[in-house]
Amino acid sequence: MIKVKNLTKSYSGFRAVQDISFEVNRGEIVGFLGPNGAGKTTTMRVLAAYLPPTDGDVRVAGFDVVKDTLQVRRRIGYMPENVPLYHDMRVDEFLRFRARLKGTASRKIRERVETVKGLCDLKEVERKIIGTLSKGYRQRVGLADAMVHDPEMLILDEPTIGLDPKQIIAVRELIKSLGEHHTILLSTHILSEVEMICNRVIIINRGRIEASDSPDNLKKVVRGGGALLLELRAAAATVIEKFEALTDVDDAELVKVQPDDPAWCRIQVFAKPGCDLRDTIFAVVRKEGWDLREMSRTRATLEEAFVEIIQD
Amino acid sequence: MMTIWTLYRREMGSIFVSPVAYLVMAACSLIQGFSFALHLDHLNAQQETRISALQANLGFFFWLLLLGQIPLLTMRTFSEEYKMGTIEMLLTAPVREWELVLAKYFGVLTFFLLLWTPVIINLLFLYAFSGDHVPVPWPQTGLCYLMLLLIGMFYLAIGVLMSSMTRNQIVAAVLAFVVVLSLFLLSLLPLSPWFGGDREFQLWLMNFSTLQHMWNFSNGIFDSRPVVLYLSLTLYVLFVNERLLVARRHTS
Repeated sequence: MIKVKNLTKSYSGFRAVQDISFEVNRGEIVGFLGPNGAGKTTTMRVLAAYLPPTDGDVRVAGFDVVKDTLQVRRRIGYMPENVPLYHDMRVDEFLRFRARLKGTASRKIRERVETVKGLCDLKEVERKIIGTLSKGYRQRVGLADAMVHDPEMLILDEPTIGLDPKQIIAVRELIKSLGEHHTILLSTHILSEVEMICNRVIIINRGRIEASDSPDNLKKVVRGGGALLLELRAAAATVIEKFEALTDVDDAELVKVQPDDPAWCRIQVFAKPGCDLRDTIFAVVRKEGWDLREMSRTRATLEEAFVEIIQD
Repeated sequence: MMTIWTLYRREMGSIFVSPVAYLVMAACSLIQGFSFALHLDHLNAQQETRISALQANLGFFFWLLLLGQIPLLTMRTFSEEYKMGTIEMLLTAPVREWELVLAKYFGVLTFFLLLWTPVIINLLFLYAFSGDHVPVPWPQTGLCYLMLLLIGMFYLAIGVLMSSMTRNQIVAAVLAFVVVLSLFLLSLLPLSPWFGGDREFQLWLMNFSTLQHMWNFSNGIFDSRPVVLYLSLTLYVLFVNERLLVARRHTS
C-alpha cells in the first residue's frame, strides 16, 4: 500500500528525514513512533502528498506522490496534527463540503456523512458550529473528515492527543475496528496505545528509522525481553553465583534483603536474548533445596524498548 | 470544475457568515450614496451635461473607495488558511493549486461586484424620478462599469497574491494597499501637469494610465487595448499566485 524508498526531505538546509525506506502492506495498522522532532509529521506530510520529497521514491497505492498526486490524495484520508478545521462552519456542513471536495458522488454524500457521524459519535453535535466545540469533538470531526470519502488508507497524525481517557479508549476502539477494512498509519507518543492497536511499529529518530517490527519482537530487544524476580531463603551471594554460572543467564543481581525477614532475599535474573529461564532456574532452586516463596516474570515494556532504541 | 464550484461556495459562505461583510457593504453603499447625493446637487445647481453628471460620480470618493476595498476584500483569502493551518487540509484533498486560486479569486470578485450594485440602483432611481429631464447615459454607464470590472479584476488579483505571501492578515492588507495605491499613483504620472519628459513618451505612457482609461470609457469611448491589458495582467498575477503556492510547499 505504501512503498517508501530512500526518502529524504530537507527544508532550507535542514534534513528532517534522511534516506528512510519502509513499506506498509494492505490491512496493516502501523504505528509511527518517535520523540518530538524526529521527522514523523514530515514523513506523514510527504505520504499525504502535501510536501514533495526532496529525494527518493514514495508510492501510495501504486501511485507516485509527486506525479500522480491527485490519485494519491483520492485514496488516502489524512488527519493532520492539531486538526485544522473551518471554525465558522457547522459540523454537518463541513463534512458535506469535505465529501464533495474529495470527489464523493453527490448521491452518496448524505449516506457517507451519516456513516462517519455515526462512527465518530458526532450525531449530537451535527448542527453545532465547529468553533464552539471542545477539543475532543474537534478531534473526532477531523477523524470523520479523514474517513468521509471512504479511503483505502488512513494516515493519522497523533489522533488521540488532547482527548480525555474515555475518548482515547473510544478512538482506539474505532481505529481498531477500522483496521479490519483499512490500512492505517498513525503516529503517537503514547506507547501503550501502539501496543494495543498496532501490528507493527516503526521507530524513527533524528530523521532515520531505528527499528521496524511488531511490538512483541521489539520488547525482546530489551535485556532478553524480560526478567525473573525470585524471593528465596538463602545467602544472596551464593544464589547469584549459582545463577550466573548458567549459560542462558546474562546477569543476576540482588534487589534487596527483606528487612523484617533477613533470611529472605529478592533476586532479579536477566536472560540472554531469546531465552526463557523459568525451567532452568526452578531446577537449580530445587537442586539446592532453597525455599522459594515467589517467582514472577517481569515483562519488558515497550517504553524500555523505545528508550533503549532511541539512545543507541 | 466541480472542485472550483465547491471551493467557491465555501468561500462565499465564509464571506457572508461574518458580520464584517455586512459592515463593509453598508459602509460602501453609504459612501456611494453620499457621492451620488453630491452629484445630484451639482446637477441641480449648474448646467451639467449628462456625461459630466456620470463623471462627477468618479471623483475622489470613487477612487478612495475602490482602492480601500481591495485590501479589505482580499486580506483574509490565503492568510487565514495559513494561520489556521487549513491550507494543509485543502491541499491534501484532491485539489489543484490553480483551482484553489481561481475559487478564492472568484469569491472576492463576486463580493466586489456586489459592493458596486448600489450605484446602479441609484442611477435607476435618478432615471425613474427625473423622467426625461436627465436621460441616463446607459452606454457610457455600461462602459464605465466594464472598466470598473477590469480594474477591479487586476487589483483584486494583486490583493489575493499579497494574501498568499503571508500568514498575517494585517501585513497582507498593508502590502495590497501599498502595491495597488502605488500602481494607481504611478499611472497618474503622465497626466500630471508637471510631467517634464518627452511629449511622445508621455502619450505612450498614457496607454497605461488607469485614470485615463476610466475617463475614456465613461465618455463612451471603447478601446480594446486596456481590456487586453487588464485581462492579461490579471491572468499573469493569478498565474504567479499559483506558482507561489506550489513553491511554498517545496520550501515550507
